[in-house]
Amino acid sequence: MSRFFQQGSDSETETSSEEDVPQRAPVAAFTFSDEEEDTKRVVRSAKEKRYEELHNLIKQIRNYRKIKDMSSMLSSFEDLMRAYTKAIPVINKEENGVTPRFYVRCLVEVEDFINEMWEDREGRKNMSKNSSKSLTSLRQKLRKYNKDFEDDLAKFRENPDQGDEEEEEEKEAQPDSDDDDDEEEDPKMTFRKDGSESSAGASKFAKKAVTDDDDESDDSDWDSDPESSSESSDPEDKNLTLREKFLKRTTDKEEEEKKEKKDKKDRRDKEKKQRKDDEEGEWETVRGSGAIPSEKPKMFAKDAEIDLNLVVKKLNEIVAARGKKRTDRREQIKLLHELWNVADAHNLGPAIAIKIKFAIVSSVFDYNPKFSEAMKPEYWAKLLDNIDECVEQLLATPEIMVGEQVLEENEILDKAPYKVRGCILTIVERLDEEFIKLLKECDPHSNEYVERLKDEKRVSHIIDKVQEYLERQGVSSELCRIYLRKIEHVYYKFDPEVLKQKEGELPPDTVTSVQVMEKLCKFVYAKDATDRLRTRAILSHIYHHALHDNWFQARDLILMSHLQEAIQHSDPPTQILYNRTMAHLGLCAFRHANIKDAHNCLVDLMMTGKVKELLAQGLLPQRQHERSKEQEKIEKQRQMPFHMHINLELLECVYLVSAMLIEIPYMAAHEFDARRRMISKTFYQQLRSSERQSLVGPPESMREHIVAASKAMRNGNWSACKNFVINPKMNAKVWDLFHQAEKVQEMLSRLIQEEALRTYLFTYSHVYDSISMATLAEMFELSRPIVHSIISKMIINEELKASLDDPTQTVVMHRSEPSRLQSLALQLTDKVHNFVDSNERIFEMKQGNFFNRGGGGQGFRGRENFGRQGQDWGRRRERGERAY
Amino acid sequence: MANNWAGPSRRLPENESSIAYVQMDGLAVMKMIKHSHEEATRNLEIAQGALLGLVVDTRLEITNCFPFPKHNDDTMDEEEYQLTMMRQLRRVNVDHFHVGWYQSADVGNFLNVPLLESQFHYQTSIEESVVVIYDTQKTTRGFLSLKAYRLTPQAIQMYKENEFAPENLRNLKVGYETLFVEVPIVIKNSHLTNIMLLELSEMIPEEEGSKFLDLGTASVLENQLRCLMDRVDELNQEAIKFNRYQQQVLRQQQDKNRFLVKRESENAARKAKNESPLPDDDINKLFRPIPAPQRLNPMIVSGQIQTYSQHISQFCSQSLAKLYITQALQNAKEGKSTP
Repeated sequence: MSRFFQQGSDSETETSSEEDVPQRAPVAAFTFSDEEEDTKRVVRSAKEKRYEELHNLIKQIRNYRKIKDMSSMLSSFEDLMRAYTKAIPVINKEENGVTPRFYVRCLVEVEDFINEMWEDREGRKNMSKNSSKSLTSLRQKLRKYNKDFEDDLAKFRENPDQGDEEEEEEKEAQPDSDDDDDEEEDPKMTFRKDGSESSAGASKFAKKAVTDDDDESDDSDWDSDPESSSESSDPEDKNLTLREKFLKRTTDKEEEEKKEKKDKKDRRDKEKKQRKDDEEGEWETVRGSGAIPSEKPKMFAKDAEIDLNLVVKKLNEIVAARGKKRTDRREQIKLLHELWNVADAHNLGPAIAIKIKFAIVSSVFDYNPKFSEAMKPEYWAKLLDNIDECVEQLLATPEIMVGEQVLEENEILDKAPYKVRGCILTIVERLDEEFIKLLKECDPHSNEYVERLKDEKRVSHIIDKVQEYLERQGVSSELCRIYLRKIEHVYYKFDPEVLKQKEGELPPDTVTSVQVMEKLCKFVYAKDATDRLRTRAILSHIYHHALHDNWFQARDLILMSHLQEAIQHSDPPTQILYNRTMAHLGLCAFRHANIKDAHNCLVDLMMTGKVKELLAQGLLPQRQHERSKEQEKIEKQRQMPFHMHINLELLECVYLVSAMLIEIPYMAAHEFDARRRMISKTFYQQLRSSERQSLVGPPESMREHIVAASKAMRNGNWSACKNFVINPKMNAKVWDLFHQAEKVQEMLSRLIQEEALRTYLFTYSHVYDSISMATLAEMFELSRPIVHSIISKMIINEELKASLDDPTQTVVMHRSEPSRLQSLALQLTDKVHNFVDSNERIFEMKQGNFFNRGGGGQGFRGRENFGRQGQDWGRRRERGERAY
Repeated sequence: MANNWAGPSRRLPENESSIAYVQMDGLAVMKMIKHSHEEATRNLEIAQGALLGLVVDTRLEITNCFPFPKHNDDTMDEEEYQLTMMRQLRRVNVDHFHVGWYQSADVGNFLNVPLLESQFHYQTSIEESVVVIYDTQKTTRGFLSLKAYRLTPQAIQMYKENEFAPENLRNLKVGYETLFVEVPIVIKNSHLTNIMLLELSEMIPEEEGSKFLDLGTASVLENQLRCLMDRVDELNQEAIKFNRYQQQVLRQQQDKNRFLVKRESENAARKAKNESPLPDDDINKLFRPIPAPQRLNPMIVSGQIQTYSQHISQFCSQSLAKLYITQALQNAKEGKSTP
């Protein structure tokens, strides 16, 4: 928005310089309106504009001061500072670098006010937290800021009166201009309302315009006619104060002005005449500052011959109004449509049609003034249609060249190798962003969301088509961009055909999304010049593999990419993508029974307890001004749309289950270890919080189920553990979310049996002298070879001090493990040993010459020391004597 | 200095003779136990209360007691409460002399700074007062554990000086073992109570008595070992602290010596030039004595370690004895059953 606005003001000055040309192009109808607009808009020179801005802000601050609204005051003051820095070049030019008096005055006033507020301790205490905070920060800011103006401030304080009159004059002038504005607004309003009486209104309006012009000369601050603004930059005027500039009117100037006025009048008369000739009389419908007629207009005069030039000119005219303050954006879109229809009707060629389409698309984009908010659905539909058509047309007419590198002047709209300025890629990217914004806007649980989501297909389709178009052109950087767009639309979607293909149900040559991803990503890897696109492509690729159970490919990719080390240096959206990828990688590892990998993938996400934020699936409730409004806005923009969310409960459950499967045997194995470390903090927290409860009821939530399961597993009760983890409740909550739920459950119960067996052996091995493997196999419902292998593994890893007795199929315990009491006693001896060591060190020190300062130690050594000290004393005394 | 040391040692016996033993009434004991267990089960806090009684010759008779109110009650003035309590007890003809106080404890953790302090205050204001420690944990295992303690004169002296630097403690000859003196306790009941008890003992069914063979070794020992480990750790920390202090002192001493040597040579040079030598008084400014660490805490910790160790060895010997008894019983049973 602001960007366009900036542009608008630039063009403004341009037009003002053009002013002097008496008659404009023969397309007379619009000139009148333009003229009118110009006289009004040109009025504001750069200086004027800046000063007015400053004045307004100062006025605001004054108002806030009256009502003691500290926070608004702070923001206004910040605005003022900003406005002033903007105005500095102008001030330097106009005032020779002297700070304008009204500004200094404002600073002084604010400072006084702030000091007063600050002194008023009672008042400060009673203030709300927010405003007292604002007060402090305002005070600090002001102090810092006023340092730059110290001289001016001092000067001002010396004689503050001088400024007052000036100020008052200013105030007088201000409302005047406001009134004027209103007056001018009114007739237009009425005019717009009764369009049927257009001709009558038109004449009225024309008259009004003339009277306005007359008024102009009297208006004191109406000095922004081109003459006076050029005047003001005269060197002799430089030192004048603002007020003088406002008021001062040399006679010759006036004369000049009159002349100018006369010119204008003449011109206007001529135009009037022209208009009357033009019997329709419809072209006068003009709105103050915008270039767009508010009346439903006909594009061109009836008899005008519509050709390419005319349409282009018209288009430029409409586009020029884009982004200006009072431009009616809806109107603009309508106009452009009209124009497109006209162009279409007269068959002016595809190039101009595309050009107009581009204009329509960008004006639809502009329709929404706030960047952070989504557009309205009806405009969204329009946008989709337009872009769709646009792309269709581009594809249909291969001879059109569209590109950002084509300059406005070099466009070829009339003959075969058409060249049009514009970038379809940017438009599509913007479209995609808008789409995501739109989705985020609506409630994910409503039908509305579903309706919106249906557009995903169309968006994807458009992207496909644009991809096709760009492939035709073959610029690799653009291709990378569009590929990435495509990748981002594909990577999170689950394609059941991939799994079917894996199982051989589909022939291996069918193209599934995995192949598509592969192709796109490989292109990006090879051709991309910016690191960011490659990183994103790789992450999406891994995500996609993980989603489709291609565990090894996904793992190899992530290990090869070395993203783990550098990811914290990338931008937040990429980091979010990385987190999402890790989450899915963890899930994939879990499905493949790689519990350790699953745990490692998820541990970073789960440890902080801020999974929701890390995956950009919602903001945590705000804790005491932790983030500012802007920050929150930015964070909101980063959020993922709902259909891309990863189920957090599933994620947490998978994490906790894998933590349980690792942690519980570990805990059992290292029960007496003093230096036992925690593998998973989160899991411990859950366990501890349940232990703290005085009464543990049957589990309700997912976490309680896992905790209950962990407790069961601690005792080696695998069936209870399994029932806690896998039951209808948990299935509905978690396990059914997996693609092949039964397989996962099967895997899980097998793992639980194995780990429970390990835990059992760790916990109760000291009770047994020997244990038969057959019994164990029966207890844990595992086949004997598995039991055998588990126990062998434990023995090899020296986790279990035992040996296998083959003929009897038993495990013989070696009893080398100390009992609990024994291990405690061992620990105690360790500690006592440490203590004895440090005690001995103390004693050693004592045996050295430590106690010679205490005077009179005991024992032989002490006496020795004493003697030495005595010598010392003796020597010193000697010295002293000698000295005296 | 030798006289100083001799002082307390001479005073010690006469002090001990002031109270030879404590005689407690059954009523006071029961009240105390009740209060302590209530506190222990309710919120795991220690219970405290006042002991009332009389001094008869070398015997301290404790005939009644009442609990102190909990501290969290701000509205009540504690002293006021005690005074009114005693006044009202006097009205019902109960001994109202404040002769000490009691506190509940778990195993050996009663020894700490507040206990020392309050006992010091008691003993300085009421010469004969004792503190009775009641061990809830041990009692729940079936051993009534009541101990009466008095501060030794050295400890009182130490507190009076309020200096816990190593020098002081050494001069006073105070160690963890000489902080307190244990006074034997005798529980005496009225004849009526004795009769009642005898009657009650007849009502106990016979087989109830077999529980005394319960070993319960592991958990108790584990607990005590854990506590002991904590204490040892703490003491170790203290030792390290002290060691560090020693090193600092040593280093400072070396610096000082070096400085002195340098100063001496300087002075010699000045003397050669017939200038007045530099004064010596800035030495003390340059090398301020490093404050010695307080030794009270390590002393208390050592005391705790000692009590824990005593408890553990006591427990172990008891358990061993039980094991032998069990063996004997087992043999007897087998011998009975085989023929």
